[in-house]
Amino acid sequence: MARIASIVRANAREAVESLRKARLRTLLGLVGVMIGISSVIAMISLGEIAKAQARKEFEALGTDIMVLRKSHDQGSPGHPAGVLEWSHVERLSAEVDSIRLAAPRILGHGSFRYQGRKVGNESIQGVTETFARINQLSAASGRFISDLDVGRFFCVVGSGIAARMREAGAGTAVGELLEVNEHVFTVVGVLDFHQESYALPFQLMANESVFVPMSTAERVLASPEIDVVVTRFDTDAGHDAATDEVQAYLHGKDPGLDVDAVSARQLIAQMESQMRIFTLLLAAVGSISLVVGGIGIMNIMLVSVVERRREIGLRRAIGARRRDIQGQFLVESAILTTAGGLLGVLLGLLATYAICRFIGWEFSISMFSVMSGIATATFMGLLFGFQPARQAAKLNPIEALAGD
Amino acid sequence: MPARESLSGPGAPGNARMLHLTGIRKSYRIGPVETEVLRGVDFQAGAGDFVSIMGPSGSGKTTLMNIIGLLDRPTSGTYFLNGQDVSRMRDDRLSHMRNRHIGFVFQSFQLLPQLTALENICLPLVYRGARRPEMKRRAQAILERVGMNHRAGHRPDQLSGGQKQRIAIARALAGDPAVLLADEPTGALDTDTAADIMELLVETNRSHGVTILIITHDPAVARGCIRQVRIRDGRISESHSRNPPCGAVEGEGPVVETGAQARAAVQGAGGPNRGKWPE
Repeated sequence: MARIASIVRANAREAVESLRKARLRTLLGLVGVMIGISSVIAMISLGEIAKAQARKEFEALGTDIMVLRKSHDQGSPGHPAGVLEWSHVERLSAEVDSIRLAAPRILGHGSFRYQGRKVGNESIQGVTETFARINQLSAASGRFISDLDVGRFFCVVGSGIAARMREAGAGTAVGELLEVNEHVFTVVGVLDFHQESYALPFQLMANESVFVPMSTAERVLASPEIDVVVTRFDTDAGHDAATDEVQAYLHGKDPGLDVDAVSARQLIAQMESQMRIFTLLLAAVGSISLVVGGIGIMNIMLVSVVERRREIGLRRAIGARRRDIQGQFLVESAILTTAGGLLGVLLGLLATYAICRFIGWEFSISMFSVMSGIATATFMGLLFGFQPARQAAKLNPIEALAGD
Repeated sequence: MPARESLSGPGAPGNARMLHLTGIRKSYRIGPVETEVLRGVDFQAGAGDFVSIMGPSGSGKTTLMNIIGLLDRPTSGTYFLNGQDVSRMRDDRLSHMRNRHIGFVFQSFQLLPQLTALENICLPLVYRGARRPEMKRRAQAILERVGMNHRAGHRPDQLSGGQKQRIAIARALAGDPAVLLADEPTGALDTDTAADIMELLVETNRSHGVTILIITHDPAVARGCIRQVRIRDGRISESHSRNPPCGAVEGEGPVVETGAQARAAVQGAGGPNRGKWPE
């Protein structure tokens, strides 16, 4: 054991020396490994950060959120598809125990004009008072739709539309008249800018929308069907229980009606599995660059073996066994790739930081990616250094000493 | 460590036990042609022996040296090194034997350029698993013995040819080997420096009883050795000894008993033989 320890120690010192001596070659090898490792690090880190980011959004949204929407695969010959109507969901939170809040939405398309100027062309959303609460919409000025607005031509506009109205001279926009399709609405509120959440299974598009009372939407839209019902459910009861209860309730209202329920928890699980695939894919792309880097290392080590034939011959003459020579070159390539790996980790984290700054994500260092980056680099050294090291060990000492 | 006196004792060249080669043959096959380089060499050397091996190029002297140095195996024949049959040893075992029993000195020094003089000397000890402080201490002591302690931290490219060869000899001695094999040790040196190196080898042989074999082209160097062997066409053609204790003096030149005399021998021959030194 003492012998091996002594040889490894001496080898490590000498490896560093010989790597320092072949500066340019060492540098090239380092760069190859560095790029490979840094791309893997950046990819894994970004994957993890994206995951954490999405998770954070879910948590901001509340994990008790559950979205109901009509099943796509309903309606068969003899069984007409059911329609999700206001009357079906009106008393959902009151009559279904596990649903604490329910906010249905009717979605329609509209173009919006203010004093003859076009200020938007997106969605009209028929909603109830709870919709703002559940979806965390807040009013910048004025108020949101109230349950007392039944049938009134009041509307609340998103920040994008409000901005364009202001450009057209509307001041705060509250109290102004807005033409929605053929109808004139009074603006009662303007929403704050709303960051669209990737966590929801539907698009909110709050900034470019005009929100009107549910009852008004039913009157002005051509096909006023409810597209989603956003609910908060009782997490103690559990997602499955809540889903069953809701489905049974709606089935009772209309036997042809089937709804899908997607909860945040499910979405998290689904998204995490997607992220895993994504991360895996990224890692695979990174591994390709690692293989390229590894081939570079192998090349460098092969050249090194050829250049140091005399040294190998001499070491064999003074008592190095084949495996000592093999160990020496393995240690050398492992040191080279580990150093490249360390630099690659730094570079990868730097790149990740830059990308996070650019996208606006919160940067964090994933210990897993750092550790696996360094470990991968060392492993690479051993893997790609193996063949050159074997070649060195197999040299005939007499021929090696002759040096050519 | 056998002293000089033991030369006439049981371990003396007469009943050589250190190196014992019998019927050594070595042939190489290059394509369909098989060339026999050694055709039955019997050779013995005892502890403290000091032998020169001369012969024209292609005579097989280097092959013989490689076999004695355990870098090559004979095709047939037996070889006992220090009482152990090494002709059928496995490769790892041969490495071990080289490390323990044999020191090499080369014409081209073969110092590792990236290491300091001291680190070069430590090398054989590294493969012995010595501890660092112990290695350094030992290397330092040997460095002093070859008169190079002021160059411990220098790298080979900062040393002259003679200095390099001193470091190389120190390295060969670091493992305290029984046999020192020197292949044209003065071949790359000028006459004065060559004389210094010969003096060092003779001193090493005298004071430490190391068996030394020198391959040389140079009759002057050969004259500095106690025993001379000639090899021709793969066989030992001539072997005569001038064992000083026996007083059997023959041939030209003075009896070499000290390093200074070896030096004188080499220097004296330096004039007429200068043209023979390889550049």
